[in-house]
Amino acid sequence: MNRRVKTKICVMASAVLIAWGLKRHYAAAGADDLWWILSPVARLVGVMTQTRFALQLGEGYFSRDRLFLIEKSCAGINFMIAAFGMLMVALLHRVRSRFSAVRVLSVSLLASYSAAVLVNAVRIAIAMSLAAHPAAFSAISAADVHRVEGIVVYFGGLVLLYELVRRLDRGVIMAGREFSAQARRVEAAP
Amino acid sequence: MSGVRWVTIARPFRRVALPLASYYAVTLALPLANGAGPSGAFMEHALVVLVVPPIAIILGCAVHTIAHALARLWSMTSCAVR
Repeated sequence: MNRRVKTKICVMASAVLIAWGLKRHYAAAGADDLWWILSPVARLVGVMTQTRFALQLGEGYFSRDRLFLIEKSCAGINFMIAAFGMLMVALLHRVRSRFSAVRVLSVSLLASYSAAVLVNAVRIAIAMSLAAHPAAFSAISAADVHRVEGIVVYFGGLVLLYELVRRLDRGVIMAGREFSAQARRVEAAP
Repeated sequence: MSGVRWVTIARPFRRVALPLASYYAVTLALPLANGAGPSGAFMEHALVVLVVPPIAIILGCAVHTIAHALARLWSMTSCAVR
């Protein structure tokens, strides 16, 4: 087994460990322990919906004027884990050395966190809007509308994130090829 | 359905295979591995989770095809006017 394959296996094992750690943390944590994701989500939802969310100890972030609580189950940790795993698989071909392995792991973690905050905020803002206009979907129960909305927004978020990363990755590859072609031309010039 | 139409539908599914697989892994495989299988509530939820993304892909594909056709029609009309 060559060194590059060994590095890739180590990176994937680390990714599985990180995902497992996130899942364990989510299972054991209360709403207060999830401040690192609930706080930016609540702030972003507040900006999107022009609402103020205040921290309620042990419960989450509550909007008095909309009577809406962003609680532990709204944290979007499962989305973050799905996005992190997807990005790790998509960017695995970039792992060539220890340094690139650390870079891929950090980029995937940071991108999945940012995507989780953004996509989750969009999902909650849409849910708040749907809750404010329940008559529009009177044929389906509010719980079913909320469920389908969650699935569509989360899955759509994953697809958009994947497309964005694929395009950026392809752009970096093309720029790299262009750079090496230019370097070869400079070397070949008399 | 003609072969061309199957390709039109199969291509977006191939394209989003990784996001779809990671979504199913987290929403279905992980709870199943944690022993959520036999409960009726989970099975009902799992059915919705299983069905909605493919429908969303087909709808997205249809919207994309219609938008493309309209754009082509628009460019043909504007060329004819010129």
